[in-house]
Amino acid sequence: MHSPELLKGTLQTIVLKVLKDHGRMYGYEITQRVKELSDDRILLTEGALYPALHKLEAEGMLKTETENIGKRVRKYYSLTPQGRSLVKERVNEFMEFIRTMGNVLQVNLG
Amino acid sequence: MKLTEDHIAYIIKDLNYRGIVAEGIQDELIDHICSAVEAEMEKEKRFIDAYHTILRRFGHTAGLRETQKQTIQSDHKKPKDMLKNYFTVAIRNLRKHSFYTFINVAGLSVGLAICFIIVLFVKNEMSYDKHFEHAERIYRINNEIKFGGNHYNMVYAPPVMAGTVVEEFPEVEAAIRFRQRGSYLVRRDVDNIKEDHVIWADKDFFKVFSIPVIAGNSTTALAEPNSIAISKKIADKYFPSEEALGKTLILDNQINAKVTAVYEDMPANTHFHFDILISMEGLDEARRTVWYSNNFQTYLLLREGTDVAQLETKLSKLVTDRAMPQLKEVLGNDFTMEKFVFSLQPILDVHTKSSLQGEFEPNFDIAYVYLFSAIALFILIIACINFMNLSTARSANRAKEVGIRKVMGSFRSHLVRQFLAESVLLSAVSMALAIGIAYLILPLFNNLSSRQLVIPFGEPIFYLIVLGTFLLVGILAGLYPSFFLSAFKPASVLKGNVALGMKSGFIRSALVVFQFSVSILLVIGTLAVYRQLNYIQNKKLGFNKDQVIVLEDAYALGNNRTAFRDEVMRNGKMESSTMTGYLPVSGSWRSDNPWWVEGRDPAVQENLVSVQCWRVDYDYIKTMGMQIINGRDFSLEFPSDSSAVIMNEAALKAFGFKGEIIGSRIATFGNGLGGEPDRNNLETLNLIGVVENFHFESLKQNVAPVILYLSDAPNGSISFRFKSQNAKEVIETVEAKWKELAPGQPFSYFFLDERFNSMYASETRLGKIIGIFSGLAIVIACLGLFALTAFTAEQRTKEIGIRKVLGASVSSIVLLLSKEFGKLIAIAFVLASPLAWYGINWWLKDYTYKTEIGVGLFLFAGVGAFMVAWLTMSFQSFRAASSDPVKSLRSE
Repeated sequence: MHSPELLKGTLQTIVLKVLKDHGRMYGYEITQRVKELSDDRILLTEGALYPALHKLEAEGMLKTETENIGKRVRKYYSLTPQGRSLVKERVNEFMEFIRTMGNVLQVNLG
Repeated sequence: MKLTEDHIAYIIKDLNYRGIVAEGIQDELIDHICSAVEAEMEKEKRFIDAYHTILRRFGHTAGLRETQKQTIQSDHKKPKDMLKNYFTVAIRNLRKHSFYTFINVAGLSVGLAICFIIVLFVKNEMSYDKHFEHAERIYRINNEIKFGGNHYNMVYAPPVMAGTVVEEFPEVEAAIRFRQRGSYLVRRDVDNIKEDHVIWADKDFFKVFSIPVIAGNSTTALAEPNSIAISKKIADKYFPSEEALGKTLILDNQINAKVTAVYEDMPANTHFHFDILISMEGLDEARRTVWYSNNFQTYLLLREGTDVAQLETKLSKLVTDRAMPQLKEVLGNDFTMEKFVFSLQPILDVHTKSSLQGEFEPNFDIAYVYLFSAIALFILIIACINFMNLSTARSANRAKEVGIRKVMGSFRSHLVRQFLAESVLLSAVSMALAIGIAYLILPLFNNLSSRQLVIPFGEPIFYLIVLGTFLLVGILAGLYPSFFLSAFKPASVLKGNVALGMKSGFIRSALVVFQFSVSILLVIGTLAVYRQLNYIQNKKLGFNKDQVIVLEDAYALGNNRTAFRDEVMRNGKMESSTMTGYLPVSGSWRSDNPWWVEGRDPAVQENLVSVQCWRVDYDYIKTMGMQIINGRDFSLEFPSDSSAVIMNEAALKAFGFKGEIIGSRIATFGNGLGGEPDRNNLETLNLIGVVENFHFESLKQNVAPVILYLSDAPNGSISFRFKSQNAKEVIETVEAKWKELAPGQPFSYFFLDERFNSMYASETRLGKIIGIFSGLAIVIACLGLFALTAFTAEQRTKEIGIRKVLGASVSSIVLLLSKEFGKLIAIAFVLASPLAWYGINWWLKDYTYKTEIGVGLFLFAGVGAFMVAWLTMSFQSFRAASSDPVKSLRSE
């Protein structure tokens, strides 16, 4: 499992990318999806996920809709057009970061 | 595996119990945990075990709460939300204290409305003549002449001036002359209508003044004699729904004038408003080549980059080279002028800086522009001070709030912003109201100031200014209270150690003193203006202005003049009548000429006396109610009275007559063939009486020397002194006779006293405006005082209760409560008095005849202000003092 310290700066990027690939999702679904994609090596903590989601929503990157399932209310997140353009930016930025880190740490990323 | 309803209900309840309650995150967490529990239960766990596994993953209650807190914070990280919060709290606060809010809003909105109107007014005054395309390059020739005790400052230039400067000075691009000859009777077919705004003008009018021409050619319009240019208003009046161009109007029953141009009505902010321009080509007087007769208002259009000072030197050279030789020729070689100077005045200065003889319309003194601006600003400041005082006074009530907020982690900057939000909100509400108020009272103000101001709703700059103003006012008013309030130390506040609002209020006292100083200053000013007006109206004028009706334009009667007068006299309602244009109110005929005591040498300047020469008829002195103090009145019994003269005391003094004077003779040059003074044709008059000095111009001026002598062909207006108290009846009688003898001619009349009062219209206006302002200032200041006393009384409820239980009387408590502010008002009065004294003297210095401003006036204003303030306070004080002590002591 990766350390949460390493994940900290990438949380938004992960959330945005996952939402881009899967359309609308709810909070728990996102954690499960990330878990699945990372072979259980990345576990998003709820304590970090929800503040991040709400922040992106407040900034207009995400929009939400709710559905009632019996007694429970489920809140789905999806990207706004603005959020969509942000995904690409964030992913590129991150790739750039990886390459830079490769240089700094003197490893070949192949 | 799906959770059952019971399971979900359990989770919801449990999470609620753990403090997960925030809207927007609660549902989401519930759903998340439910999903997770379901997933966990897939691993064959019991519900409760699965639930606790998930809870552990969240970090139990603490973790859950932390998640909730973090989420809420990310929801509210935006400035918009912070502002929203500030305003929500502000609105709640203002609503909670609606009484104080009302006082603040009422004061501020009235203050802002006044400011608003004044700004519009000042802007309008400063915009005069700016609309002319070449405004920067248009100058008016002013003329100062001084000789033999005469001093003229006037806007008139000689007829040859305009032509000469255009011909000889290349820097003058064009010059135009105006000649005013009073009102004209205008008709198209039968009925004459009297038009006041008629002027003779040179053909370059439209070249110099860019007034848009709707029909006709602006360059050739006034080129021919008997051609006129008319405003759209006149065109619509005489030629409704017709083309006016090329049509004919008849002026004064003799000039057949052809309309050669129709122009847009002159904008309101122009220093003249002419409706009919008559071509100067048709005026003989305009072709005269004399330099010593000054009758033409002359305007020059200068080329770009002209050195005005240099041009003025050239003009003064014209005086020495052209005018003086001519004068010497007429008056003799020894004649010298003390002063004879032409100067140039930019037309942009005319409206606010000029008040000379011959102005087309009364201008507005720039000093009043400053005065009004200052008053408006003061009223606004008074209103702002109300806000400051009430906020800081109530600080005790809010000290706890501040303490708690600080304990909860609020920074001082947050509190400052919170308090500023309150004041800005307040000023925004007031601004909206102020615009409404301004909109409603603007018609009244326009009426009072005879202007046509409108609120510029269409201009973006207006909204910018509104926005800027309410922000500025809000911040100014809120700054001091916000720093004052936010400075409290939480520990001492919460322990209850903070001084109550009314103590430590030095700044507040100073502000109250300021408010009342300004109010008292304004009140004293108003009283002084009214007293002077009253003095003018009741001063012994030397003539009797009451019960005299004056019919204008007697010439419209033609040869029926005397018949008309006799017919009216016959009905017995009139005491006497006189026919002359020379009346002792301004706006009447005036004519001055140099005379000398017969036998002295007219070439010696000291011997010349410039006097008003009024041609009147037999009953003039009787009709005007003047007093003969020596000699006798004109009389039909003496045929020789055709060469008799009656002079006023001022003239007597000017000629230097002493002792036995009846029978003395004075002389002047008669007219030559061309109308110019002829040295060889002397005219002499024989003194038969002296009349008491009478004021015939504004009391700002001294009584000038006047001589009265009989006219061989009386003309001008016909004045009747009537017996009846019923003015309406008099008008009807005269009008019926007029209609009979002058059919189709407009009947226009005035009462002498009304015309007299209109000489002081601007003073009356000033008095009214300042009166309204000072009234408002005192009302706003009292509103503040009212709220302050209300607050003190509230603060001291317990004290009052105890005092009453111990035997204090109601009156002693009222005194106790009003004493503090009473002192402040006394200080304000002491501060305001010297300023007011200075201001009044400054204003009165223009008047030769002025009222005495004694101590009484000041005391009256001071006592008045004190009474008003005391009444305001005592209402609250009395309420507090008369309340039942049991009630106030039983609480808590």
